[in-house]
Amino acid sequence: MGITVEGVSKSFGSFTALQPIELEARPGEFLALLGPSGSGKTTLLRIIAGLEQADTGRVLFDGEDVTGRPVTQRGVGFVFQHYALFKHMTVADNIAFGLTVRPRRLRPAKAEIERRVAELLELVQLKDLGRRYPAQLSGGQRQRVALARALAVEPRILLLDEPFGALDAKVRKELRRWLRELHDRMGLTSIFVTHDQEEALELADRVVVMDHGRIEQVAVPDAVYRAPASAFVFDFVGESNRLPVTVERGRARFGSALLDAGDAADGPGLLFFRPHDVEPALGGEGTLSATVTLARPRAGMTRVEAALDGLDAPLELDLPGEPPAVGERITVRPTRLQVFPDRR
Amino acid sequence: MIEEAKPVPHSADATSEPAWARRLLIGAALGFLLIFLALPLLAVFSEAFRRGAAAFAEALAEPDARAAMRLTLMVAAISVPLNCVFGVAAAWAITKFDFRGKGLLVTLIDLPFSVSPVVAGLIYILIFGANGWFGPFLRDHGIQIVFAVPGIVLATVFVTFPFVARELIPLMAEQGRDDEEAARSLGASGFSTFFRVTLPNIRWGLLYGVLLCNARAMGEFGAVSVVSGHIRGETNTLPLHVEILYNEYNFVAAFATASLLAGLALVTLVLKSVLEWRYDLRGQGH
Repeated sequence: MGITVEGVSKSFGSFTALQPIELEARPGEFLALLGPSGSGKTTLLRIIAGLEQADTGRVLFDGEDVTGRPVTQRGVGFVFQHYALFKHMTVADNIAFGLTVRPRRLRPAKAEIERRVAELLELVQLKDLGRRYPAQLSGGQRQRVALARALAVEPRILLLDEPFGALDAKVRKELRRWLRELHDRMGLTSIFVTHDQEEALELADRVVVMDHGRIEQVAVPDAVYRAPASAFVFDFVGESNRLPVTVERGRARFGSALLDAGDAADGPGLLFFRPHDVEPALGGEGTLSATVTLARPRAGMTRVEAALDGLDAPLELDLPGEPPAVGERITVRPTRLQVFPDRR
Repeated sequence: MIEEAKPVPHSADATSEPAWARRLLIGAALGFLLIFLALPLLAVFSEAFRRGAAAFAEALAEPDARAAMRLTLMVAAISVPLNCVFGVAAAWAITKFDFRGKGLLVTLIDLPFSVSPVVAGLIYILIFGANGWFGPFLRDHGIQIVFAVPGIVLATVFVTFPFVARELIPLMAEQGRDDEEAARSLGASGFSTFFRVTLPNIRWGLLYGVLLCNARAMGEFGAVSVVSGHIRGETNTLPLHVEILYNEYNFVAAFATASLLAGLALVTLVLKSVLEWRYDLRGQGH
């Protein structure tokens, strides 16, 4: 089921949570909303679910306008950050909830509900835990119960708010892979919210990067990393070095260094490059010289931190070969860099 | 997760006092409790039984005493459920919705705690009394509120209003809206969300509030005294009956009746401890 968001905006009092947003999730797609806290990603997810009402704009499921439809009627599965399991109910009763609250004429028979619950318990690999209470489960198990509960009503759309936020790293990795499989197998359209870029890049078909209530970029994970659309995206996704520069006729000046600015407009700019997109150089145009402050061997190369005159944060560089000595002067040439206009 | 503090050797414990100081403090606290709480309680029961169990039973079997008991039970039976509903509704509104005037509502809920019960009683006289705002209207329609059962119920409802709401507001605020939103997203109506998710989540807190509300409803003196009119066998509650008997130097009967209220207090305390224990167990669950 496709999801379309048209011109949706939202404010809380004087705080603008969402600028007018346009977004499309294709049927069967797994979409990540990635951004720092306060970027509006959870608000957008809640508006799509119907848990929050947009101030302007429309939400469409498969072309059908659902903006005025309450959450009870939207038929989406929603998984909460802290699971929101019903503490006083067993795992099985939690999963059955969406079926047992249906009006009598729409409610499946008791045996049918039991069969569905058993099926879902199997699906989330908690076959023998149906009679436990949520408090008796681990974090990862609770997350899977929350998923099973959301899936019990057979939604076509699954919305997840920071689904792995409260789990430790190992469980998180396992669950991630498992969730992706589940999504593909059930033919769902899923959107999940995360502030963890690694999670977004690994799991999603496309990543929606958000900041200050705006969408900065929508792209496949590789493109978000390789070709960030804005200074914010370059900064937020992956490691990067950032230099404030002045652009003049295709050249970016930082102190005495001159670098290729591509087709960036003249004026103040921000130049970015990744730590691994550098090579040792002898000097001259297109190079930067800095003093080594730290050198740590990493797999196959050395991570070097180097102080550059006029920059507070040290440059982070991945260099091949023998580690340089601390205090040594090194010169490198960024091989891939991007310059964005400095909006401030 | 925070690890539980391990016991530290005494010399290293900055908050530990010398043994004599500890004994003095504990002794003072216990002595205070004994003189101001335990002794009066003991006195109530010993006075009640001074002339033996027969006199005690006789005092309680007396028609006016029976009427007072009936009235007290009836007032509690009306005002406790009312405040249960009001309290849940107020706590629900305050914790699950954002609206204008929320702060004012929270303050208003506390009003009965901050105002003297006598004033609470006088308010009703002012509104419903013969010379009050609605006095002529009520007289014309033959409705009596003040110096009758409705007035006593109103005064009791007013005085006991905060108990349930006060107990539930912090509890429901802590629980947040996630559970309700989850239920709604699964298609549950507002009605089933409340009865199947919210109510079970707050049941122990609610019981606790109801218990305290009930104790106060049965024991309230000041506000009820103002609006009751002290008509024997008709508008006397147990606390008022105790006062009347005492003023008539009928000590055995006064204390016998008082011992009922003291007994109620003891039962309330026991139930309260049981509930607190249950509360704690649940608190550790998540």
